[in-house]
Amino acid sequence: MLEIKSIAKTFKSGKNDVVALNDIHLRVEKSEFVLIKGESGSGKSTLLFIMGGMLNPTFGNVVVNGKDLFSLSEKNRGKYRANEIGFVFQSYHLLPYLNVYENIMLPNELAETKIDKEAVFKIVEELGIKDRLYHKPSQLSAGEKQRVALARALIINPSLILADEPTGNLDERNTLEVMKYLKIFQEKGGTVIMATHGNLADSYATRTIRLHKGELIK
Amino acid sequence: MLILKEIKHRKFNFIMGLVGMIAIVSLVVAFYTMTRATQKETIRLTRDMGFNVRIIPGETDINQFWADGYSNLSMSQEVVDKLVDQKSVNYAHLTASLHKRVLFRGKDVVLSGISSEEREPSGAKKSKMIFAIEKDKVYLGYSIANQFNIKEGDVIKVLEQDFEVSKTLAESGSDEDIRIYFNLKSLQELINMEGQINEVMAINCMCSTKNGDPLGELRTELQKIAPEAEVLMKNSVADAREKQRKMTDKYFAFLFPIILIICALWLGSVTMTNVKERTSEIGVMRAIGFTSWKISKQFFLRALLIGLFGAIIGFAIGTIVSYQIGPSIFSVAKTYIKPNYIMLLLAVVIGPLFAALSSLLPVLWAVNRDSAELLKE
Repeated sequence: MLEIKSIAKTFKSGKNDVVALNDIHLRVEKSEFVLIKGESGSGKSTLLFIMGGMLNPTFGNVVVNGKDLFSLSEKNRGKYRANEIGFVFQSYHLLPYLNVYENIMLPNELAETKIDKEAVFKIVEELGIKDRLYHKPSQLSAGEKQRVALARALIINPSLILADEPTGNLDERNTLEVMKYLKIFQEKGGTVIMATHGNLADSYATRTIRLHKGELIK
Repeated sequence: MLILKEIKHRKFNFIMGLVGMIAIVSLVVAFYTMTRATQKETIRLTRDMGFNVRIIPGETDINQFWADGYSNLSMSQEVVDKLVDQKSVNYAHLTASLHKRVLFRGKDVVLSGISSEEREPSGAKKSKMIFAIEKDKVYLGYSIANQFNIKEGDVIKVLEQDFEVSKTLAESGSDEDIRIYFNLKSLQELINMEGQINEVMAINCMCSTKNGDPLGELRTELQKIAPEAEVLMKNSVADAREKQRKMTDKYFAFLFPIILIICALWLGSVTMTNVKERTSEIGVMRAIGFTSWKISKQFFLRALLIGLFGAIIGFAIGTIVSYQIGPSIFSVAKTYIKPNYIMLLLAVVIGPLFAALSSLLPVLWAVNRDSAELLKE
């Protein structure tokens, strides 16, 4: 489903080049739940952003369903994300001026996405935030915010969820809740690639890979 | 919809942008409106002092002309039509007149017939008349009215014919105080000089010539079209008026770019603040699939709204300020202080474009940043 070939990423820091990723090869099949583990600064988030076509690699390719992601135009990469990928972030990144319903409906602003209202009601029910539908993010708890972010990612029926430390700001109870929803998504045939440095997610993964200083540890 | 919700959420930033836009539009509108009034006022004041150009019969004895204040010769009224029809001499208005010194109740007075209409160049807008004296009525100079205790509404006999005094004029301190003003046609009939005049007064005539010798140029042109006429010019009045107009234009040309740059910087920094506040939002929009253009549109539409509302409110404030302050400064020309709807149209078109352009750099900076970097912030 997704193949990463010889990915390298170097950032400029002043006059120096900082190597964030070096010669990463990875193949993820449909319906896998892959955990990317490693300490802070090991390159987990960078790898996720490259997989999502949001960050250009310095070298290498990302092949999705036989297509080289970075040979696509910006518009087509956007379409790919809009149709195929759901992102979940540690800091939720909800739009503060939209309520829960509007945040979940945000992908509807794109021409290529059509979200059914009923689908929103169904998903908020499943995620247990139905009674928060018209609340603003500032009125929600951390766990609720992350469930809204998860709903926003799931509402487009993606084939892949890229989750960057989605439980990093949550307590154990909420962490397990979020993991449960990600697991349900995977069991229904979706693919999850999740970056984390904790251990609470270990039992949910079908495979765990480790990054250390930008390199994959076998 | 998304934009309106964002504006509602970040009201302060939007209002700050609006303030900048309102400031520039209201300043420009107020300045322009009042400048026009100043120029009109100068024209009015200088017109009261005398006309720029006096066209008189060519054979006039200049000593007699200056001694009497008018030519004792006459020329055909068709001179005015010839001047209107020609294209090479510039002027704003032409007024034909006829003057004759007579005895009125034993005193020397000057009868002045003023044409009931001013003539403008072909196609020019009709202006306000100086005098529009009705037939069988006269305006009386201050000294005559005062000496003979004549009041408005009285009937006086001039050269054996009755005329009603429809107005007595205020003291001018010049020979106008001993004049009786008639409708030109009435005076022509009264003194048996139908179709004849002895002066054409031209306002704003030849104010901008290329060779710096407007009088010479005007004489050459007039020689071609009306050889029977001669030209006298009040240089000082025309020059003063032209200098004042140029000075105002220069002042505006100097001030306008400065105001524009300050406003552009202001709007740019307001957009920059907005962009910085929304870095993670831009990142998440990218993650969802928004293209750079789609994200830029959010900021540009916001800027267009600032420009549009700023232009409308700025125009209203600029006009109100002109109305409030203008009349106390430009008492003579206060009627010229009025809303200029062409400026409103320009403001509504240019304002949003200007606001969007001012936001261009911050928006480009934001959408060209790495999404990963934006989301980390």
